[in-house]
Amino acid sequence: MLKGLILACAGFALFLIIHVPLFRLQLSEFRFRTMVRLALVLGVLLLTVHRATPSDLWVLPSAYTRAGWAIDLLNGLMVFTFLFVGYSMFYFLIDRGFSGRIMIEIEASPLRRLRPDEIAARYSLEMVLQRRLNELLGIGRITAINGRYCNTSKGRWSAVMFAFVKKFLQLGEGG
Amino acid sequence: MRGLLAGILAFGMYFLVQAVVFHSVQVSRRALVLAGLWLGGLPVYVWFYTWLPDDRSVWPAPLVAPSDVTTLFSGGLLYFFLFMGYAQFFYMAESSVGVRTMIELASEPEKGLTLEELTKRYHYDWMLDRRLRRLVHAGYLIEEMGYYRTTARGRLAAAVLKWCKRLLRLGPGG
Repeated sequence: MLKGLILACAGFALFLIIHVPLFRLQLSEFRFRTMVRLALVLGVLLLTVHRATPSDLWVLPSAYTRAGWAIDLLNGLMVFTFLFVGYSMFYFLIDRGFSGRIMIEIEASPLRRLRPDEIAARYSLEMVLQRRLNELLGIGRITAINGRYCNTSKGRWSAVMFAFVKKFLQLGEGG
Repeated sequence: MRGLLAGILAFGMYFLVQAVVFHSVQVSRRALVLAGLWLGGLPVYVWFYTWLPDDRSVWPAPLVAPSDVTTLFSGGLLYFFLFMGYAQFFYMAESSVGVRTMIELASEPEKGLTLEELTKRYHYDWMLDRRLRRLVHAGYLIEEMGYYRTTARGRLAAAVLKWCKRLLRLGPGG
């Protein structure tokens, strides 16, 4: 089982290293799509390397090489996938986190302190919503015709699903 | 397979329990309940692991893993990762402005909404106040006479976020 874990961690480390220059070079708005594609390529590479190398990776003690190849590979791919999902969480926190933006705005202010209305003046509701609308347009969840925004079929499905989850788990209107 | 199955079964149990809890009780400290229930599920994971038969008696050779510490750890890792993935989904449903936007747009499926109409449906004071309260509660901000300032932890978090944004060229964000 150790071989799969090691290859998954190595694959994820490679992902972290490669995505930085890609992001720095890329001018496109669709960075997350790039992340997903890179992870898919590395996932295929992980699979290939797993099948092409011996179960002990030339160095592992024999006690760690007794697992079947399929379960080892499955475990490695799952760990790699979930490391990517975990990093996506972190990425969205950096890119879109409202709370993070609040802290950065407070730190950037001359006296390093702000009232709620001062925060709102630096980052208005219109700015928050326009950014979300652009993102939703980019991922095909909504369309814009003559300044009016409508859900696409994907957007309608997401809205129904999330509305159900919010209601069932009593999460309030949120946002 | 034993570890992975135990991880999936323990998460399935966790998922059901948290769904029942959130459905039947109005929870205010959501993160605490989510994480507390997950921690409470760790013994359940160990129980499932010991309850499941050894792989050799059930699965074909390629799917057999020895019942050792690495297998136990791998299943535990899966239980942790599934929880993290679910937490991401949970908070997307709970707090995401994008999700709320799609729900608001769903109320006007034919003619849609303009940015101005959408803005009127939100209470920005409430949105901001909710986040400020959470940041204070988590120890990132302090409120003093109506002003908010960062604590040492908040300054560190802001610096890390700013550095990551600059490294990845992500713009001001939020």
